[in-house]
Amino acid sequence: EDAVEESTVSAELIAYRKRLVDEWNAWRLQTQEEVLAEKRARGSKVDTKHAEDEDREEIE
Amino acid sequence: MRPILLQGHERSLTQIKFNREGDLLFSCSKDLTINVWFSHNGERLGTYEGHNGAVWTIDVDSQSRFMVSGSADNEMRLWSVQTGKCLFVWEFPTAVKHVAFNEDDDQIVCITEQRMGHQGAIRVFNINREGDGTNQSLEPVSLFHPVGSKPTVCAFPYMSGLILTGHESGKVALFDAKTGDEVLNNERAHMDNVTDLQLSADRSYFVTSSKDKTARIHDAKTLRVLKTFSTETPLNSAALAPDQPYVLLGGGQEAMSVTTTSARQGKFETRFWHKVFEEEVGRVKGHFGPVNTIAIHPQGIAYASGGEDGFVRVHHFDESYTKAKPYGDLEIIN
Repeated sequence: EDAVEESTVSAELIAYRKRLVDEWNAWRLQTQEEVLAEKRARGSKVDTKHAEDEDREEIE
Repeated sequence: MRPILLQGHERSLTQIKFNREGDLLFSCSKDLTINVWFSHNGERLGTYEGHNGAVWTIDVDSQSRFMVSGSADNEMRLWSVQTGKCLFVWEFPTAVKHVAFNEDDDQIVCITEQRMGHQGAIRVFNINREGDGTNQSLEPVSLFHPVGSKPTVCAFPYMSGLILTGHESGKVALFDAKTGDEVLNNERAHMDNVTDLQLSADRSYFVTSSKDKTARIHDAKTLRVLKTFSTETPLNSAALAPDQPYVLLGGGQEAMSVTTTSARQGKFETRFWHKVFEEEVGRVKGHFGPVNTIAIHPQGIAYASGGEDGFVRVHHFDESYTKAKPYGDLEIIN
């Protein structure tokens, strides 16, 4: 079913969706940084999941 | 996706909320009561009785220790989730329309209505978590009166010291929690009443629903509109799925129910939209009247809707939903 669906979606639409996802993800990475900075500024404990995510992002 | 029907309220639902673990679902209603249910089987765990007016709003803290409610009886109450006892009562000149805890569970923001010579107000209270919870301060740490359009919904975004609001005019705004100054607004966020505002898990963005038939995702810091979901019906609620790139929208016009309501299932739908592509992906029917409030399980395994019909419906997602990738292998950061 997925395969059928995929073949009917035009290359143009796929490219458009990819652009939307790239824009969204870029914005999310930026806001996640800002949330983390705010938490550090407040001196509250940063949970490990966020810290790991950030490390991974820096490596990338 | 067979729903569980929660029967217990005698009048329309006004707000529903999962606790942080998602095992409990809280519901409040115009029938003056608040109920708490086990979300996995729909069994009612308890009732919080004491309000003498429609209960407009509830919120539960992240430890499932305290629950706060606001009512048409001009009271805000703090409850012990576990014992069902009312721990503290704040009284105001007008009805309490919206309440919300902050991320650290040590503050509550509330909106009271503008009525009969009383200005609408936003108050922030410190919550004393020491002891049994009965030792609270009657005085707010801040109190301000937004000028212009009435606020309808409020929340604490991730930026400390700021209160996020949605208004009757369609405006969304950020207020300085201490001075009451409006530090930022988007007057044209919506063209009509903002009916719901729900934050992302990290409180950095939020979804609003409006009587203007749209729901929108906004950046909490800039109030920039990021996404718009246009429907053909006034919307009462919008929720963000935590693990899937979807928003769930509910609403409806009462007049629609006259035509062909089947005996088993009402026509009023919860709509699923892809939050990045702004495309509708599905609908779930159920209620016999408009959907007033939607909440999504924090682990994304279920959602619940509360209707004008007095029912709460809990839907546990099938594996086909949680594993579905209708748009291929695109990874979307929630």
